[in-house]
Amino acid sequence: MPETTPPETTPAPRKAGTAREATLNYALAGSGTERMPLADSRALALAAYERLPLPNWRRSGFWTTSLEQLDLDALEIRTHSPDAKGQQFLAGTPSAGVLVQRDGSVVYTQLGADLAQRGVILCSLEEAAKDHPQLFDRYYLRRLRLDRHKLEAASAALWSGGAFLYVPPGLQIAEPFQIVYEISEGGTAQYAHTLAIADHGSDLRLREYGLAEQIDGDALHAGQFELYLEDGARCRLAQVVDWGQGGVHDVSTSVVEVARDAYCHWLPALLGGALIHHHDELAVAGAGGDMAFRGIFFAERDEHLDVFAVDLHETGPSGGDVHWRGAATGESHASFEGLIQIHPGAQQTHTYLQIHTMLLSAEAELDAIPSVLVGADDVSASHGGTVGELDEALIFYMQTRGLTRPQAVRVIVEGFFEPLIVQLDDPALEALIREKIGAKLASAAADIERYALAR
Amino acid sequence: MAELEIRNLHVRTEDREILRGVDLTVRTGELHALLGPNGSGKSTLANTIMGHPSYEVTEGQILFDGQELNEMAPHERARLGLFLAFQYPVAVPGVSVASFLRMAINAQREEPIKVKEFGGELDHAVRLLDVDRSFTSRHLNDGFSGGEKKRAEILQMAMLKPQIAVLDETDSGLDIDALRTVAEGVAKLHDEQGIGALIITHYQRILDYVKPQFVHILMDGRIVMRGGPELVARLEREGYDPIREEVGANA
Repeated sequence: MPETTPPETTPAPRKAGTAREATLNYALAGSGTERMPLADSRALALAAYERLPLPNWRRSGFWTTSLEQLDLDALEIRTHSPDAKGQQFLAGTPSAGVLVQRDGSVVYTQLGADLAQRGVILCSLEEAAKDHPQLFDRYYLRRLRLDRHKLEAASAALWSGGAFLYVPPGLQIAEPFQIVYEISEGGTAQYAHTLAIADHGSDLRLREYGLAEQIDGDALHAGQFELYLEDGARCRLAQVVDWGQGGVHDVSTSVVEVARDAYCHWLPALLGGALIHHHDELAVAGAGGDMAFRGIFFAERDEHLDVFAVDLHETGPSGGDVHWRGAATGESHASFEGLIQIHPGAQQTHTYLQIHTMLLSAEAELDAIPSVLVGADDVSASHGGTVGELDEALIFYMQTRGLTRPQAVRVIVEGFFEPLIVQLDDPALEALIREKIGAKLASAAADIERYALAR
Repeated sequence: MAELEIRNLHVRTEDREILRGVDLTVRTGELHALLGPNGSGKSTLANTIMGHPSYEVTEGQILFDGQELNEMAPHERARLGLFLAFQYPVAVPGVSVASFLRMAINAQREEPIKVKEFGGELDHAVRLLDVDRSFTSRHLNDGFSGGEKKRAEILQMAMLKPQIAVLDETDSGLDIDALRTVAEGVAKLHDEQGIGALIITHYQRILDYVKPQFVHILMDGRIVMRGGPELVARLEREGYDPIREEVGANA
């Protein structure tokens, strides 16, 4: 059982955001071929879940993300019968395949017959565990942990439905696969798990959504996402999270593993949720692996957003390019910590991390913390960033062209995110993200105006 | 026919009074030049006409077709038909010249401009101003050279078709070729669209290419001398000092 440690000897939960956490995660990542049966890993995770307290994450001494207010016992896993309604959320058509999970159930799956014939698998993770045991055993939890904190354990123990995608060697698919996690009402606990595999030399686009309308009361999305890119595979991955204005708490872990000569362009867009705590890790595990790790976040009202992004290089030569942009308005709190970590064997790694933030209200808080941990000597790793506010000279300039103040602000904020949006190279997805940013700006217009006038 | 009328304008910023009673009237179809040494209040006048929030009007009026602008927001002044070409245009990151122009045009209309109509007008404007069409897909002023920024200002002016434009030291920092392009652009817009312009400048070079009918000299926050093109020639010969001495008693 190389990938899990019995609960008794599990080290105390570490502070999130430290190098130690990433190292620990790596040390516990599976490396052998002998896999633990699903039932056993669920049982282990359940034991960890019952033992662990609701987490508090502290960063840099002053930042805390706490779930102590969340009444887990009041939440339940809701099941639904199949229907196609979840598709309404999807941006653009056609898709290579679609899977929709509402609360605790996969309610819709669609995969083109030709793709199925060529060996593509898109099904619920529950089905994959039964019908594709070899693939499932080989990849499931290969790089994810069961028990770093209570909700990770809960997700590993209790996930239902789930998404499984397998793209066979050499297959190149232009249309996106789309996986939707929808929360339909308050009181829901959604334990989600996506496992995606791009086999040797394949090329795909994958979009994962976390969506909700304005729900009443609290809900939980504890998600785990793992994507494995085998040698020479390429993937453009986007995750769009917009839980609306209800009380969705989203505590999720995503990992992407990039093998030899593989490439991943990954963009999480975190655009709404009462509380979001994401641990996103892109690991270059094979020589010649390369990645572009992009991210967008926009917090408003009293939202709390906490992102820990890891750019991990386990072997070289490898390339990395991390670029996040975030804005905060209202009374929101947003924190981004980006870590470049280069292992001793990862010589000739070249990577860069930049984080740009824009503060749009006096009551909002926005922190950006880059850090670098380098264990090899023949590498380049650096970071940079900017902290910005609204540029009054720019607003005046646009006003003299006839734009109102809110219009000018919108142009500035949209322009701020635009360098990352255009890189998606996917017009329907770009339009969706622009639309969501526009909607957030519209709802925050009064806050932004008050801030601008107060300065 | 539109008229921008400035009456006894007094303006201060923070702790200093910069304009101390300026009177000036610019009508559609007229070309005015406002010259003055550094610190005389030229840029203050330009920015105040457009309603920059850092400048406080303490006395006097700015009128457009008889309507007082003093309390009006900058975008409302723009929608009336006023335009300011900036001395230092700022970059608008992430927004192409073309999409910014479309936004600005739409801001001044009820119905959004049709794509085809916009394309036609843009083609016409780039030809008129001798600008490369690919220029319009670059992000506005982002990484532009000084000359490119000023061309982008004139291009916006051509597309927005103001009644009266204020050009704030549009000629500063330009090499002679860029200066000629910009100046000829202004002249063409005057000829074609009949706009009125207030060309504010520290140097006289731009006036080699645009011939103003009216010339005003601003010193220490007041217009101290008015005349025609002959005043430009005199300045070129003598500089500001003799004028300062001549009007010293009144200034």
